[in-house]
Amino acid sequence: MSAPSFAPFIRSRPWLLKWMEPIAEWYCQKAGYRQLGLRCDDLIPEENDIVQLALKRLPPKEAYDRVFRLRRAFQCSVTHHLLPKEEWTKPDEDRPYLTNIIEEIEAEYKEREDLEAMIITKRKENAKH
Amino acid sequence: MLARSNLCRGAQRAIRAQSQQTRGLAAPASGSFQYQSGEAKGVKFASRDLPGPTTSLALVSKAGTRYQPLPGLTEGLEKFAFRHTERRSTLRITREAELLGAELNAYHTRENLVLEAKFLRDDLPYFVELLGEVAASTKFQSHVYNEEVLPLIHAAHKRYLANPTAMAVNSAHALAFHRGLGTPTSPSSTTPYTKYLVPETIEYFSKIAFAKPNFAIVANGAKHEDLSNWVNQFFDQVPASVTVEGGLACTEQSKYYGGEERIAHDGGNAMVLAFPGSSSFTGKFYKPELAVLASLLGGNSHIKWSRGFSLLGKAKASDETFVQTTSAIYSDAGLLYTLIKGSAKNVAATAHTSVGVIQKVAAGEISKEDIQKAKAAAKFKELENGQDPRAGLVLSGNGLVTGDKAYQIDEVAKAIDGVTEQSVKAAAKTLLESKASVSAIGDLFVLPYADELGLKV
Repeated sequence: MSAPSFAPFIRSRPWLLKWMEPIAEWYCQKAGYRQLGLRCDDLIPEENDIVQLALKRLPPKEAYDRVFRLRRAFQCSVTHHLLPKEEWTKPDEDRPYLTNIIEEIEAEYKEREDLEAMIITKRKENAKH
Repeated sequence: MLARSNLCRGAQRAIRAQSQQTRGLAAPASGSFQYQSGEAKGVKFASRDLPGPTTSLALVSKAGTRYQPLPGLTEGLEKFAFRHTERRSTLRITREAELLGAELNAYHTRENLVLEAKFLRDDLPYFVELLGEVAASTKFQSHVYNEEVLPLIHAAHKRYLANPTAMAVNSAHALAFHRGLGTPTSPSSTTPYTKYLVPETIEYFSKIAFAKPNFAIVANGAKHEDLSNWVNQFFDQVPASVTVEGGLACTEQSKYYGGEERIAHDGGNAMVLAFPGSSSFTGKFYKPELAVLASLLGGNSHIKWSRGFSLLGKAKASDETFVQTTSAIYSDAGLLYTLIKGSAKNVAATAHTSVGVIQKVAAGEISKEDIQKAKAAAKFKELENGQDPRAGLVLSGNGLVTGDKAYQIDEVAKAIDGVTEQSVKAAAKTLLESKASVSAIGDLFVLPYADELGLKV
């Protein structure tokens, strides 16, 4: 599920973005998931309908890679090891692959809600009949 | 909450600008069966202003199973109709159509893929815009294919396998025309969608099917000027010519082969005896006497609690046996076929008598009165087609995309009037001389072979 975020606010202000980017980069590196070979989108909790549906919509290759990353990370976690440094997720690999699908599904759900809540007024010409 | 202003441009225009229909229901009809045809920016269209408060509008594309370059593409494209486009989602299209009280429908025949909308007369611009949008900017997303389209295709396949009648008719077509017109209208195996169908190929096919030379817009109950105006506006996005490599398959003249096929089936018994027939009125091989011959042989009754006057109706083995003779017309060929279904024994007996009846007609042992009756029935059926908007839509659209000619029902009826007794007898004779296409589905122990029936295959 997508959570509220400051990112759009910061991204729309280039001076602020320039200022924040190194901090964000440092934070992600410190968060520890990259050392287990994971990507940020692997951390999204999947125990709900929307993310389950999004996972079903992943292209086969993406889905396979995701499972591989998760299993490798479990193994590392169980054995209390980190991956060797060259296998850490590189910052340019750490791109969202699931968030866009989740957002698409949320938009679909929202549209349905909106249409359900619509109040219909009869158009004037037909109201006469 | 969705505000009114969020509704599409076309819908708003429909609300504001459309002039009210001036003629009431009881007023005399000025409209005739004649279609007026025209062209707007390369898009062919035809309309007739039938009196009444509703309109049916169709996009008829030359993309039936005959023309598909890979198996299953027509089925796939049909199931993708009215789904997510660049501007609207599936849900939104459905809801908007519901709010306008309209009906959306997509289906295909052997030669055509039809996207159809039926709605109140005032909403014409909205639906012309919708058809333009569906043709030009449907998004062929893989999750839509997996979640919505594929289960429908699979269901069509299952339904086909459970229906011996459909199998018999398709098998007869396959025997008669091999490729092209012989391609089954529903997937007869899972191969099309396990091997050939992916969203990208369907998108590729849509670029061919919805290129301007390959489709026509046909409307019943719309003013010609209005339709011309809106078609002019809303079809800018569709490709003006086929821009992708390849193109429609099997566009060459269909050839008749003939043969015999027998398929075991435990869901019922059906037999089809088929012979080369007449092309559509808009095609080159139009033979009105075959329509008369079809109604002369007939089979199913027009009168309740009676077997009817038709020759096969009188000759069939039992009241429960279903017999029907159809003259299936296509743009460049046709198939005259008798379909028999019922219990295996009755089907076999009726098949024997049917061949006997055709031989009798060919030998001229037929009363003048019967032919008169058959002509009247054939003419009635043709004119009734004129009243049934759906038949007219498809026939006209097909005529426009294949030969720049709308299907004029009045003229067809006139052609049937001109059929003589001799020409019907001669037509029956040529049937027996040509190779037949015989298919038997069901209990093969009982159902006869073609040579047992006395037919050449």
